[in-house]
Amino acid sequence: MKLYLLIMKHTRLLSASILLTLFVSCTSTTVDEFRQGETGIESDESVVILGRRQASDYETRSEFISCVGEGMNRGENAINVVPEQEFVDAMFPWFEPRTAPLRTQDLERLMAEDVIAEKMNDFGIRYIVWVDGSTVQSGRSGSLTCAVGPGGGGCFGFGTWEDDSNFDARIWDVGGLTSVGTINADATGQSYIPAFFVPIPLIARVEANACQRLANQLKQFVNGS
Amino acid sequence: MNTKKWKNCGLALMMLIIVSCGVSNVVIVGSFPTPNIAKLPIFVAVIYDDALREFSFMEYTETGEEEFNIESGGSHIQLFNAVLPAMFDEVVFVDTIEEVQATGADAIFAPAIEEFQLALPAKTKLDVYEVWIKYNMRLLTAEGDYIADWVLTSYGKTPAETFRSTEAAINDAAIVALRDLASSFSLNFGQVPEVQTWLSNL
Repeated sequence: MKLYLLIMKHTRLLSASILLTLFVSCTSTTVDEFRQGETGIESDESVVILGRRQASDYETRSEFISCVGEGMNRGENAINVVPEQEFVDAMFPWFEPRTAPLRTQDLERLMAEDVIAEKMNDFGIRYIVWVDGSTVQSGRSGSLTCAVGPGGGGCFGFGTWEDDSNFDARIWDVGGLTSVGTINADATGQSYIPAFFVPIPLIARVEANACQRLANQLKQFVNGS
Repeated sequence: MNTKKWKNCGLALMMLIIVSCGVSNVVIVGSFPTPNIAKLPIFVAVIYDDALREFSFMEYTETGEEEFNIESGGSHIQLFNAVLPAMFDEVVFVDTIEEVQATGADAIFAPAIEEFQLALPAKTKLDVYEVWIKYNMRLLTAEGDYIADWVLTSYGKTPAETFRSTEAAINDAAIVALRDLASSFSLNFGQVPEVQTWLSNL
């Protein structure tokens, strides 16, 4: 009897886990790559990933930039990544939202400044990756009500929404002062919050998936594979 | 639960309501890097007036109640103290025009804030916090005569995030605006026509 109860308990737990995984992993990610030039990186060279912050209605989050950097910096064929804030502070005021180079021709003009060329050389920067994008939430529906009374409290209802992450990464070769390619990562996913006394958030890891896929693709791209 | 505990709970709840209805004070705090620019071969005396030192801006709700008091005077002084020595050969900080002549400075720089604006996501329906600041930059001779007087605007924004307080987001947007001021001021100072004429006559 004890064995039966134990099996039943574990079966329920397993079913719940499978169900949870099905809901949580409800994310689809597409990565497109457009290569314009040959790439490759030496072990003493590094990459800096910078967020574009010129748009008026959204901003590329610095957390996403850090996430992509960490992704490129670990695992097989890891690449040295200079932290965004460290680079922007060291180059101040040339990489601020209003002064950052928008085209490779602007970078060429910037590299004519001795102090910039010297700092770029100190960091060992081979590639600058400009990431531009955001995550947008849409299709919010359902209703969730929570109440607290003297006898206790609870939540009832069901809520759902869709997250869409779209990020573009443009890779500039600092040595050749050219654009060598573009990678686009687009991830969408549906999140749910069913609540029966306790709300259970089943959040689609849309931005995390976009970050992971973009980091992997960038690593391969920069390594020239 | 006894009566005393109920009273304490009621008092705590009332305090919470009172606190949440009051004005929120935001003191802008940040650090500013030194600009990588070529120094101009001039000796500048800098005067920060009290209006700049103690600058604060009050944001009101749509019903006219005080919502956020933003104190940015200290961070402006900190910013200019980091930027000006990187822009000019020699910099001295003085309190009055009378003190300047004894220093032998070529010019006096006196910045002033003319306008400060804040845009919150709750009002703009955008997912960003925004700060605009309008400055009046004044450059005077050591005797206090006019050299140049120009307007500079700076802008900063930061995205709205789930686990960040409004106060922290306002601070971040203001720091971006201050860095924007530092970058446009340091890169464009020599391009202001009156400054350009004055520099060529030195």
